[in-house]
Amino acid sequence: MVRFFKRRSKSYQTNDDWIRALEPPPDEAALDQLRSFLIRGLKASLYKNVDRGLDDFVKDIAQDALLKILDNYKSFRGDSKFTTWAMKVAVREGYTELRKKRYKDISLEEYSRYDPDEKDVIEIEHQQAQPDQQAHESILVQKVMDIMEEELTEKQKKVLQLLMIEQIPMTVVTDMMQSNRNAIYKLVHDARMRLKSKLEREGIDHEEVLNQM
Amino acid sequence: MSKLPATHEAEIGCDECFEELHIFAEMELKGKSPGDAMPLLKEHLDNCGECRQEYEALLEGIKALGNEDA
Ligand SMILES: [Zn+2]
Repeated sequence: MVRFFKRRSKSYQTNDDWIRALEPPPDEAALDQLRSFLIRGLKASLYKNVDRGLDDFVKDIAQDALLKILDNYKSFRGDSKFTTWAMKVAVREGYTELRKKRYKDISLEEYSRYDPDEKDVIEIEHQQAQPDQQAHESILVQKVMDIMEEELTEKQKKVLQLLMIEQIPMTVVTDMMQSNRNAIYKLVHDARMRLKSKLEREGIDHEEVLNQM
Repeated sequence: MSKLPATHEAEIGCDECFEELHIFAEMELKGKSPGDAMPLLKEHLDNCGECRQEYEALLEGIKALGNEDA
């Protein structure tokens, strides 16, 4: 079996071999080989994060990744081994599914009390703070809350609430907001830049505040 | 509260990171310092938990396949 696989793997060694094999109609042997390659790589990538059913999960992911690769292989620029690029696509597919799945499992009952119109956007936790430090912090916190209220868009506030207070994974927030990960990352980044410059103008030590976020 | 990405002006997003992640990973596995060659990508990986998790998993995956695929 190993010999058989090794013999087959000789036929798709270079990037050109792979690209040629994937051109429509794709070569079945190439798809089989790529699939088993992805399955083995995904197992190594994901085993720490999957308790049960790793084999089935990985098979599904490999299949989804294969379809993505067939759709996108033309965007591969030949700047690495093709298999590295393909593995990258599969790993992202795997983690996206994993995060959604895990969040769904954890939050089935929690989610029912989630109220998207909740007005109270910002809550701050005090962990092991001394009383005077707490007083100092709560003035600061109040100030920062006011600034957030003034400076941030509704969408920015919503996303910060989901990420920071409700601790929802970015992948899931992305879905909830019907957005994409890059856009959410940028939105958070912009929110931080706005807060930073306002805090600077107000003479508040922004390092201390933003580091808590 | 969970950490949000640090604040810098010239920063790339998750899409740009993903675009080049395979190059970064191969450099890392060859022992070349990808962080020096691609500092913005390195910075994004430091700041973005999801991209970093995928990057580390990608290294594991490629390493596991390395022997047969070399
Ligand atoms: Zn990212």
